[in-house]
Amino acid sequence: MITHRFYAALILASVTMLTGCVTSTVDEMVFNEPTMGIGDSTVVILGRRHASDYETEPDFVECVGKHVSSRDSTIEVIGELEFVNALYPWFEPRTAPLRPEDIEKLMAQPPVAAKMAELKTEYMIWIDGSTVRTNSAGSMTCGIGPGGAGCFGFGTWGDDSDYEATIWDFTDRAEVGRLNTTATGQSYMPAVIVPIPIIAPVQGTACDGLGDQLLQFLSSEY
Amino acid sequence: MGSMISGHRISYLCRAIMAIVIAGILAACGSQQVTVKGDFPAPLMEPMPLRIGIWYDEEFATHEFFDDAAGRSEASWLVKTGEAQVQMWDTVLGSMFVELVPMRGEPGGGEMNEVVDAILVPHIDELQYAIPLHTNVKVYEIWLRYRFDLMRNNGDEIASWTMTSYGKTPTAFMRSDTDAVNLAAVMALRDAGANFITNFARVPDVNNWLEQRFPSSNTAQFPQTNVETAQDQAQSQSQSQSQSENTTAVAVETQEPSPAMAEDTSAEDGS
Repeated sequence: MITHRFYAALILASVTMLTGCVTSTVDEMVFNEPTMGIGDSTVVILGRRHASDYETEPDFVECVGKHVSSRDSTIEVIGELEFVNALYPWFEPRTAPLRPEDIEKLMAQPPVAAKMAELKTEYMIWIDGSTVRTNSAGSMTCGIGPGGAGCFGFGTWGDDSDYEATIWDFTDRAEVGRLNTTATGQSYMPAVIVPIPIIAPVQGTACDGLGDQLLQFLSSEY
Repeated sequence: MGSMISGHRISYLCRAIMAIVIAGILAACGSQQVTVKGDFPAPLMEPMPLRIGIWYDEEFATHEFFDDAAGRSEASWLVKTGEAQVQMWDTVLGSMFVELVPMRGEPGGGEMNEVVDAILVPHIDELQYAIPLHTNVKVYEIWLRYRFDLMRNNGDEIASWTMTSYGKTPTAFMRSDTDAVNLAAVMALRDAGANFITNFARVPDVNNWLEQRFPSSNTAQFPQTNVETAQDQAQSQSQSQSQSENTTAVAVETQEPSPAMAEDTSAEDGS
């Protein structure tokens, strides 16, 4: 029995150790924090999609939203797709407002104003950035034969995440904060018959970093 | 005997795995087919007080794009957008105007069509796509150029103009090329709807026609992008650059397409 527990603990420790290292930095500059929380208002987190050579990953935007709502259940985060569909075509990459003052002009349209009132959106958070592969090296050869299959070699690659979140106060039509997170990590994959991936959770770390900062801004509990 | 069976099993297993590997390699070099499918939301706007007829010709309703493989390592692509086009334009135009009437035949072609204020006939002049294999950028892109004809029941032209749309989607873990191209096409169609809604009343000939129809009202009330968008910024930047360089200003898309598509970005213009 003890042996089984020992092996289980050993496997768990091994799996934990097989995660690559990630270095993360978070910067923040916020004003007018809602010290009492946001009440029954809602928050929407949207990805900026104007750049030509990258696109803020929808998965990342979703990850940040889940991070916030799962740690403070009083904060209702509207899904990006749900929000953009409800207000089509005013938040498409082509038409999305770029400055908080533009919200005023958008709200001049009665159907848009009515929908925004229905959604009770207090804060609009724009995330801009991406995770890129910075370098990769090594080689791996896999083979198959009557006796079995296997791989041999070594591969390594690095990932860099850089995201900036801009917080707009919907009531005051003003920008009330900017958060920035960067994360970098190196992943490895040695293979002796079986490839063993040692993945650095770069994007996940960036998501946690940004999510924690947003929680500190939005939640009364943090 | 047991070892023979075991040996046979291993042999079958190896052959099966080899067959799967070879099939995978062949499939990678074969053709990729995408029938674009997506959900298109109804626009949130006050409908324009117009009774508009819509006519999709056969080429538009069954539009497809085929790109033959350039080399042995590449795949041919067949992208079918016709069905999704009709679905999207029906949704957009249905909310954009007080009434949208499907026409029974081509305007002015002797067909007994219902009398409407104007008939819109969309065409797709061009479609381009790019995948990370082509560009080394982690995005899949689709670029479309439309041509619209707005005409009277008798076939007389009111306006004719071109419009571009662009959609892109990033690479994602476990997402196939076909899924990504489909998503990029859906984004391009959504962008086409957004572009049409916000710029319809800005097309000079359409604007003149609207002013004739509604002389007492200001056509600026009709849906337009009334916020400074990325498109406006890009246009103003382009114009200021062009003025400083003493060259002709050209319309610029919201998102610059990939270099492979850049040669056609100046196509968008009002008639």
